[in-house]
Amino acid sequence: MNPRTRWEEIERLYNDALDLPAHERKALLAGASPDIRHEVESLLSVDCTVGLNGPPVYLAADLLNGQPGRLEPGDRVGSYQVESLLSVGGMGEVYLARDADGKRVVLKILRRHLIANAQAVDRFETEARAASALRHPNIVHVYEFGESDAGLFIAMEWLDGSTFRTIMDAGAVQISQAIDYARQTSGAVAAAHAAGILHRDIKPENIMRCKDGVVKILDFGLARHGRPVGPDPEMMGTSGTITGSLSGTLLYMPPEILRGEPATSASDVFSLGAFLYELFAGKHPFAAATPLDVLAAIESRLIASAVSTRAGIPVAVDRLISRMLDREAACRPTASEVQEVLEKDKPAGL
Amino acid sequence: MDPQGEVTRLLAAWGKGDPSALDQLIPMVYAELYRIARRVWNRHQLENTLQPTELINEAYLKFANAEISSYQDRCHFFAVACTAMRQILVNHAKSRLAAKRGEGRERIPLDEVERAADQESVEIVSLHEALEALQAIDPRKSKVVEMRYFGGLSVEETAEALGLSIGTVNRDWSLAKSWLIREMNRKA
Repeated sequence: MNPRTRWEEIERLYNDALDLPAHERKALLAGASPDIRHEVESLLSVDCTVGLNGPPVYLAADLLNGQPGRLEPGDRVGSYQVESLLSVGGMGEVYLARDADGKRVVLKILRRHLIANAQAVDRFETEARAASALRHPNIVHVYEFGESDAGLFIAMEWLDGSTFRTIMDAGAVQISQAIDYARQTSGAVAAAHAAGILHRDIKPENIMRCKDGVVKILDFGLARHGRPVGPDPEMMGTSGTITGSLSGTLLYMPPEILRGEPATSASDVFSLGAFLYELFAGKHPFAAATPLDVLAAIESRLIASAVSTRAGIPVAVDRLISRMLDREAACRPTASEVQEVLEKDKPAGL
Repeated sequence: MDPQGEVTRLLAAWGKGDPSALDQLIPMVYAELYRIARRVWNRHQLENTLQPTELINEAYLKFANAEISSYQDRCHFFAVACTAMRQILVNHAKSRLAAKRGEGRERIPLDEVERAADQESVEIVSLHEALEALQAIDPRKSKVVEMRYFGGLSVEETAEALGLSIGTVNRDWSLAKSWLIREMNRKA
C-alpha cells in the first residue's frame, strides 16, 4: 500500500471510530490490516487534554514585552550604568550594572507601562522596602529604590553564585555543608520575622549560595509586614486555577495557605522545612506527578522522615525538619528555634 | 508601489499559484505583526496576556484598507499571517531557550509569566518539529494546526481562511492533535 493510500485509510477509520461509542470501535477496526488497526488504535488512545490547548499567550506576551525599551550597555539608570541584560520577564528586566564607584550591582527594572498597574507596583515596592528594611548578611542587600526614565528600579547587591534549585538539581549536598546552609537560611528568616516581615515565597529558586559559601535569601516581592493576608492571586493562574507551571511554587506552600487561610511566620517555617527536607534528603517531601497530586500530598501524605531517605542526617536535624512540616501551624518551631537547634548541632554534625 | 498595493499584488500572485510570492509576503507581514504588536500591547498591559489572533486581525485591518477587498484575498491574508505568526513565535521560543542555555550565570526568573513562557517555548519548538513531519504526510492538517494554534483562529475562522467546511476543520484538528501529541511524547 502506498503511503498516501495508507494515510487516507487511517484517517477514514479514525474519523469513523470517533463517531462510534468505544465498544463498537473494535468491530469497525477488525476489518483493517494489523498495521493500520494498530496505528488507528494508537491515535485514538492519545490523551488530547494535555498539550496544544494554546494559543501560546505567555510567549506572545513575553515576545512583545521584551522588545520595546530594552536598555543597552552604557545606558544610565539613576546613578548606575547598565552593563548587560541578565534576564527578561513579564514584569521587566534584570540588568548587571555598575555604580559610580565601579562596583557591580543588579538592577531590576519595572517596565514603564506597568507603572499603571497598581498590583505590579505594589509588589515591586514591597520587595524594595522589605529587603531594604533588613540588614542581614544572609539577605540580599537593597541599595536603592527609585524612578528613572526607564521606569521604577531597584538597585541591589550583585551575587556571584547559584540558586539552590540549580545546586540540588546537580546532585546531593554533603550533610555537613547542608547544616551550614540550613543554619544561614534559618538565621535570615528569623531576622526577617524579628523585624515583622514575612517572606511568603521561600523556595530553593529564591535562595542563593554565593561562591564564598554565604547563603542569601532573594525576592521579597511577596513579602508583607506582619499583617495577615489571604492567598495571593499571583500564586494562582490567571483563571484562578492552579496551572502546571506553578507546581514549583506549590511544592513549598503550607497547607493553611492552600486552604486560603492567612500567612503567618509559621507558614514561612513550613516552606523552609520543605526546602531543608529536600536539601538533606535529596528529594522533595511532596514530589508528585501533577499539581493536584502535590496538593493532596501537602494536605495528607504521610511524610517519610528525612533520615529514612538518606542515612547520616543527625537525629536532631531530622526531628526538627519533621516538626517544621507539621500540618498544624501551631506545632511548628519558630525560625529562631530552628536556627538555635542548627547552631547547637553544628559541632556534632561536622 | 505602496506596501498595501504590494501585499495585494503578492496575495493575488500567490492565489494564482506562484509560490515565490509567499516567500516575499511572509517577511512583510512578519514585520507588520511586530509593529502592531507593540502598539496593541499597551492595551493589554494590565492583563499581561495577548491572543495572537488579535494581532492578526489588526494586521488585516492595516493591510485591508481598500486593497484586500476580495473574499479570496482576505482568506489568503489570514493564511499568510498565521504562517508569519508561527515563524515569529518559533524564532522567539528558540532564542529564549538558547539564551537560557547560554547564560553562564544563574538566571533569576522574575515571575510566573516568565515561567509559563519558558514552558510554552519548549512546547512550541517541539510542536514546530512535529508539525514539519506532519506536513510531509498531510499538508492540509499541518496548515489547520498552524491557523488554530499559532494564529489562534477559531474553527470557523480557520474554515473560512482555508476554504474548508467546519466539519473538515474539526476532523483535521482532532486527528492532527492526536498525531502531534503522540509524536511529541515519543521524542520527549
